[in-house]
Amino acid sequence: MRAAWLICRKDLRSRLRDRSAVLIGIVVPLGLAFIFNAIFSGISGGSNVISLGVVDADHGVASQQFTGQVLEAVGRSGLITIHTEPTVARARELAARGTLAAVIVIPAGFSARVQAGQPASLQVIGNADAPVSTQVARSIAESYAADLNRIRLSVATAAAANPGTSLPPARIRALAAAAAAATAPVAVRDVSAQTRELDQKSFFAAGMAVFFLFFTVQFGVTSLLEERNEGTLARLLAAPVSRASILGGKLLTSFLLGIISMTVLVVATTVLFGAAWGNPFGVAVLIVAAIMAATGIMALIATLARNAEQAANWQSVTAVILGLIGGTFFPVSQAPGILSRLTFVAPQAWFLRGLGDLRGGGVAAVWTPALAMLAFAAVTGAVALFRLRRLAEV
Amino acid sequence: MSAEIMLECSGLRRRFGEIVAVDGVGFGIAAGETYGLLGPNGAGKTTTISMIAGLLERDGGEVTVDGEPMTTRSVRAKSAIGYVPQDLAIYPDLSGRENLMFFARLYGMSTAEARRRSAEVLTLTGLADRAGDQAKHYSGGMKRRLNIGLGLLHRPRLLILDEPTVGVDPQSRNAILDSVAALSGAGMAVLYTTHYMEEAERLCDRIGIIDHGKLIAEGTRDDLVRTVGEGDQVRLSAAGDLTRAAESLAARSWVRQARALDGGIDLVVEDARSELPAILSDVAAGGVAVRSVEVTEPDLEAVFLHLTGRALRD
Amino acid sequence: MKVLWIALSNLRRMFRVRTNFFFVFVFPMVLILVLGATFGGSSSPRLGVVSTGSGPLGAALLRQLEQTPQLRVVAISGPAALLTQVERGNLAAGVIIPPGYDGAVRTGPGATLRYLARPDQSSQQLGETVRGAVARQAALLGAARFAVAQHAAPGFGAGLADASRISPAVPAVSVTQVTAGTTLFSRSLGQFDEGAWTELLLFLFLTALTGAVALIETRRLGLSRRMLATPTTPATLIAGETAGRVLIACLQAAVIIFGSALLFGVNWGQPAGVAAVVILFALVGAGAGTFLGTLFRNEQQAIGISLLLGLGLGALGGCMVPLEVFSPVMRRVAHITPQAWGNDAFARLVGHGASITGILPQLGVLAAYAAVLLTLAAWRLRRVLAG
Repeated sequence: MRAAWLICRKDLRSRLRDRSAVLIGIVVPLGLAFIFNAIFSGISGGSNVISLGVVDADHGVASQQFTGQVLEAVGRSGLITIHTEPTVARARELAARGTLAAVIVIPAGFSARVQAGQPASLQVIGNADAPVSTQVARSIAESYAADLNRIRLSVATAAAANPGTSLPPARIRALAAAAAAATAPVAVRDVSAQTRELDQKSFFAAGMAVFFLFFTVQFGVTSLLEERNEGTLARLLAAPVSRASILGGKLLTSFLLGIISMTVLVVATTVLFGAAWGNPFGVAVLIVAAIMAATGIMALIATLARNAEQAANWQSVTAVILGLIGGTFFPVSQAPGILSRLTFVAPQAWFLRGLGDLRGGGVAAVWTPALAMLAFAAVTGAVALFRLRRLAEV
Repeated sequence: MSAEIMLECSGLRRRFGEIVAVDGVGFGIAAGETYGLLGPNGAGKTTTISMIAGLLERDGGEVTVDGEPMTTRSVRAKSAIGYVPQDLAIYPDLSGRENLMFFARLYGMSTAEARRRSAEVLTLTGLADRAGDQAKHYSGGMKRRLNIGLGLLHRPRLLILDEPTVGVDPQSRNAILDSVAALSGAGMAVLYTTHYMEEAERLCDRIGIIDHGKLIAEGTRDDLVRTVGEGDQVRLSAAGDLTRAAESLAARSWVRQARALDGGIDLVVEDARSELPAILSDVAAGGVAVRSVEVTEPDLEAVFLHLTGRALRD
Repeated sequence: MKVLWIALSNLRRMFRVRTNFFFVFVFPMVLILVLGATFGGSSSPRLGVVSTGSGPLGAALLRQLEQTPQLRVVAISGPAALLTQVERGNLAAGVIIPPGYDGAVRTGPGATLRYLARPDQSSQQLGETVRGAVARQAALLGAARFAVAQHAAPGFGAGLADASRISPAVPAVSVTQVTAGTTLFSRSLGQFDEGAWTELLLFLFLTALTGAVALIETRRLGLSRRMLATPTTPATLIAGETAGRVLIACLQAAVIIFGSALLFGVNWGQPAGVAAVVILFALVGAGAGTFLGTLFRNEQQAIGISLLLGLGLGALGGCMVPLEVFSPVMRRVAHITPQAWGNDAFARLVGHGASITGILPQLGVLAAYAAVLLTLAAWRLRRVLAG
């Protein structure tokens, strides 16, 4: 064991001196996370409140009801901020410029037409680059219109019981009042769900970290092949050191490099970019499991290659494919069909899921993903060790 | 006084696929003795010592080092061996001192001991003033010296050197040979493989000649030379149709062996003094111009040629 | 033609390493495929709906939701599964139509749907769309109930039938929509289109940079010096190295363009325009790659820096997240990178059907980048080889 530790220390010293491990393990993922952070904080940093303009050219009962009750209610929910504009022309100009995401126009005579049972319409002016906000404005208007239509249809249906005769206006008004007073048959109640998904910032931090982890751990086991090439493996074998110690030392190097890299990344992204990784204990469990899985897989590939260069190439290909399927570049959980299942072939997917679940639930949420990753580690590690024994022969 | 036996090996056997690289090699080395394993490239020298050092599994045979049995897993036996491989085995990213410290501790020394011993070896190998530089910045000769120093670090009782002077400049080569002689004098057992006859002659108390995986002769230099029989070695430096001249000489009854070389002819004859005129006239008749003549005792090249019919050095 | 010879030799050396085939050709295609499959097609948010036991009216509401163009409805088995999916982000939000919905609406006090969403803006926005769709359905249902209450219909079913019959004839309150301003980004893109050109630019640049490693290897092996010892001028050597990189880039672009066009039906726009963008961008990449190769001695370090610059500049230039969604400030920052200009050119070629004349400004900027980088590279390479 002591020998394994000595070998590990020697390897770490070499690697850190080489700077390539520092680059791949820390600088590159941090740099990329920084860039992504810069891009994304400009987009949906949080404030996506819709600037909704309202032009009330009507000043009637219906428009008061719409602006006073319907829009107020939506505004209180924080979804929109309401900007009253005096004229349609002004409002249109603001919408064109993008200052307002959308405008709802209540044209003159709206209330009168509604009262009289005539066709009426609300107009939505949407900014060309804000389709989602425009859609929301439209939906708000349509909900209101639908409610008015319900009243009309209710009255019409009741009146249709006596076909041929037309009801006196008073009767119609009474019916309308009754219909308006009737409760809507279907209500929608909001139920809030937890978020068991990483926010964007944290997603990129975690995604980059776990992607490059699979490169960082390569430095451990591949060095065994390098030592064989360089001739120093012979010296190690001639020394009074067991083969297990030599292998152990190499695996330990991978592991420690992984720990150092991930720790620095977690701390740096949290402090510098405000990424929220979650409960420290849960994060630690997931990280350790991920490192072990990565080490096992990369070690296995190294044993299948003929020399260090080939090993590095195959390892890179594998790391990239697993990273892609595992959703480290972009979340593939929304992908249809086979892709959403294929993702779990990659330990990276389990890592990200673990972090997501940790966010929504307690620490207990990490055990399943951690065990999955440990299973990866166990299987690949066992095969790798078996093959490594034969490799550690001059 | 019989010195301790440091190494005892017998019946060593190893095959690689169809090829039998080592077939029944066995010998012993005592403390303070330098044993040379002499043979051409591909004879099985490196494979043999790999088995002795516990780097390679044996297909057959036994190895005992300082009384301990040696296998690829033996920790105690390996502690007694210092290994200097043919190819440089040093860590380029670490400094000379760091290389030494690492292996010192790997051989079980405490940090303090390791530090002391590393300093000693650095002085011994003349690397003390460059000890802090990374090994990749050393010159070729310095790297060689470090390579050897690493083998001596833990004061082994048996030092194994595998062709340590291949590709080395003459000055460094001499330095290496002198160091080995000194170590042997100090009581270390040394196993030295080479295909350079001069080194074997200069350094080794006993020599084993190995060819095609078999130990074909063993003994002191004098013992081996005697196998050629009484006689003198005549070395002609000449130009012309050397092969035909050598063939015609070989036909003579008093010529034991004759061989054409690059730039001359090597002969072993019964009595050079009396036969020299005949040799020269023979050779001149064949149109060969002789530049110089050297008469010596037969050397190991001659021994090898006598035993195998082939040259030691190709 | 020594330049061509050196270039071809670079090509051969590169593809002797099998895995380079993967990185240069296969991986970009796979990425386009995955991107397109995940984000292409309908970009509407996914709404999970649980409607077990909700009866015929529940089924009708489900159909109403399915017909709403701004949603993509996914049927879910039960509330627990719905909650998990929403929490995980697999669904944008969820609606539970309770069991007994049918009865509650027909004769009971009315029903309450539960709208399951996470506490973020986009989920709230989706809620309004759902409410709108529900309200349309509720109009008919409300009318039917009212008719029954007013004894104008014998039962709910009759009332509903009446309401449905009458509905088209009733003058309605409607909502009209117009668009203000013109969008920079056309909506007429196919499922894979935008992903394809952004990935192309990303990989051209990345390959050119990591190709810098080959230059370091050449130097390290002393080959450059050996080549200089032959009757080859430094200028030829430099041109050869750069041409090699341009050749590889063009080859890569050809595979990606034709491959994605054939396999995924990607539209690339006018061929002349595409060729111009690709060649100029290849020159930019070649210049950057060669320049980078002269700055480093160590391959490992060069790979690390190449990755950082290639991915970083790519991301900044809109190759991973489209420029559309950048804030105005970031969009301006993005145009420091050649990738952003390349993306703009393609957006015009594909999204707006522009011809090569329509993208001259972008081509001009790319040409300027290429000129600067190639000059720098040539200067450095000469110094390094001589020194």
